Amino acid sequence: MQVLVLGWEFPPAKTGGLGTHCYELVKNLGKKGVNVLLFIPKRSKNVKHNIENVEVVEVGSSIMPYNTSNSKIFEEGYGWNFFEEVKAFNRKCVELALKRKFDLIHCHDWITAVAGMQLKNITGKPFVFTVHSTEYDRTANIYPLKHIIDIEKRGLEEADMVITVSNHMKKQLIERYGGDGRKIKVIYNGIDYTRFFGLTRKEHKNIVLFLGRLTNQKGPYFFLHTAAKVLEKRKDVLFVIAGEGDQLPELIRIAIGLNIMDNVVFTGYLTEEELLYAYAMADIYVMPSVAEPFGITALEAIASGTPVIVSKNSGVAEKIMHCFKVDYWDTHEIANKIICMLDYPVLGECMRRNSFRELKDFGWDRVAEQTIAVYRGL
Amino acid sequence: MASVCFYFQIHQPIRLNKFTVFTKNAPYFDNERNRKYFERISRKCYLPTNKVLLNLIDQFGKKFKIAFSLTGVFIEQCKSFAPEVLESFIELSKTNCVEFLSETYYHSLAALFSVEEFKKQIKLHKDLVNDLFNQRPQVFRNTEAMYSNGIAKIIEDLGYKGIITEGHESILGWRSPNYLYTPKDCNKLVALLRNYKLSDDIGFRFSARWWEEYPLTADKYASWASACEGNCINIFIDYETFGEHQWEDTGIFEFLKVLPHEILKYNNLDFKTPSEIVKSYKPVGIIDVPHIISWADIQRDTSAWLENDMQRLAFERMAKLEKTVKKNSELLHIWRLLQTSDHFYYMCTKWWADGDVHKYFNPYNSPYDAFINFMNILQDIERRLK
Repeated sequence: MQVLVLGWEFPPAKTGGLGTHCYELVKNLGKKGVNVLLFIPKRSKNVKHNIENVEVVEVGSSIMPYNTSNSKIFEEGYGWNFFEEVKAFNRKCVELALKRKFDLIHCHDWITAVAGMQLKNITGKPFVFTVHSTEYDRTANIYPLKHIIDIEKRGLEEADMVITVSNHMKKQLIERYGGDGRKIKVIYNGIDYTRFFGLTRKEHKNIVLFLGRLTNQKGPYFFLHTAAKVLEKRKDVLFVIAGEGDQLPELIRIAIGLNIMDNVVFTGYLTEEELLYAYAMADIYVMPSVAEPFGITALEAIASGTPVIVSKNSGVAEKIMHCFKVDYWDTHEIANKIICMLDYPVLGECMRRNSFRELKDFGWDRVAEQTIAVYRGL
Repeated sequence: MASVCFYFQIHQPIRLNKFTVFTKNAPYFDNERNRKYFERISRKCYLPTNKVLLNLIDQFGKKFKIAFSLTGVFIEQCKSFAPEVLESFIELSKTNCVEFLSETYYHSLAALFSVEEFKKQIKLHKDLVNDLFNQRPQVFRNTEAMYSNGIAKIIEDLGYKGIITEGHESILGWRSPNYLYTPKDCNKLVALLRNYKLSDDIGFRFSARWWEEYPLTADKYASWASACEGNCINIFIDYETFGEHQWEDTGIFEFLKVLPHEILKYNNLDFKTPSEIVKSYKPVGIIDVPHIISWADIQRDTSAWLENDMQRLAFERMAKLEKTVKKNSELLHIWRLLQTSDHFYYMCTKWWADGDVHKYFNPYNSPYDAFINFMNILQDIERRLK
């Protein structure tokens, strides 16, 4: 079987969970004997990929999907140039793909869906569309772009099979996009937990961690308001906000307004290595996302031996039992849980040990197997 | 000749109110939820089952007998939420075919931390049973059939004739549960052991389609009882089996309605209550139980309540208050209500990921939520005791 995968992010150039997903998926498909032809945007640095059964083709373009503070090409939101680049990338993908042989096309999110649909029309090959998040999720429903929603809608219509990362997402695709439930298959994301520190001993420095893009979607405001409530009861707690994003200045203003800056640290961008330490040093990881199709960071925290509090509507909450599941807006309740976890270390200890055991259900080989089953069913 | 001994356990915990670290001056117990659950179970189980049993006693006269153990916290809720349920138990008690057993008022784990507290709660319960049903209980059953040599000795010293526990291989070895045994170090007390196979056939497997004996009929069940060797066949089950664990549409009520008839068809079977069993038969051996056993889960130990560190911490912190709380009559009852085993059961992480045994009318989303809520209330009580 020869699969053409149209990717978006790929290590080392990545800004979110999608890059990890693409990498692990093609690697594990390759391991299981599926031949993968992967098209990804060309980044500034030349990187050699050596993955069994996988041919990586870098297509000339330099797309950064989110407006991160160190990328200067965008003004507000996605920016005009960005859309031009996406168009160019899709055009180029179609052009190159038509010179190659493949049995099916597999696209990830709206950004490559246009090329997927065109290729299906021209070649008649089946088209698989994985939806990792929707425009509504990414914008936390604040000014979602109709133009992107339309691509997502068409993608769902024209795809022969749709894969998504949680039941919550499947429900959204059916209800909001009118998707056909019969052709939507839920495959939860995986994690290679050996990359993380595991169940090391905690030093209990009372660190509560937020890690993610600083955007409305990830709910950093709720984290700050939670912090203020915790600090009413305990002063010896440090709230770490790791990551970057367009909301950083606003968040700093809020933290100053709440008078909690003495207990809040904004780390900015973290390298892969720093990220591992951040997860492991924390006593509690909080993921108060407004929208979270899956929530891979929660699994990464668990893999680092840290107990997690996650938003009830995240995909990961459907599968992980040993964690706290909260309404992201209920800062009162999140604060209650944080204080109790700090007051009674046995609680976090029980939770992290039990949740760590649950990771065995999240192997990437399982994701690859289920994906192959989708391919075979076409 | 073997006697079939039916004993039904009846208990509903008084569930706690949602209590956060920020909560002040709020009630500790969730009356609304407790009422809702209680009314539902009354409608589905207590009232219809009591009616069936009363009819059976009318029908068979003195030939059909049963025993109940009603916890004090169950009776308290009866009084507040469903007085008609209590009335129907009183009516049953007047037939002279129903025996009431003794246990701790609070369905507590008191035996695991304080002999004095354990005895006090037994006395509270005994007085309550005497007041309501005009009976002095002769046979004791500890919370979830928790039992050890030490517990048996305390019960003998209190003047009881019998004690109930689980007839498990870990204490019996090759021996049968269908006889009376003498607890080690006791002279007068005898132990009645639950026949867990025949009990679970009704309690757990009645509607299990995977079971090769499905569907279970009364005549088949009676034939199994008749084929048993021994003196007594102790069928000890939760009362909620009827109509709640096994829903009405499983046919559980029809089964119960014809079971006495099917059993009495056999000349070698009759019905006896626990205290009649104790009077009628002699113990055949000694059981030696140095470590506490129970009838819960596969392990038959205390791990459902006191296995993980959260459960242990919560239990220790609660137990530590014994001395100070006894000087405060207002908080004493509340502290005892916190001892109800269910609060610790809700914190169990043992089966949680895959099993739903622990989910039954569980007010919490997770064992961690159960722990937090319990500790916040305990902390509030500690504060008030200072």
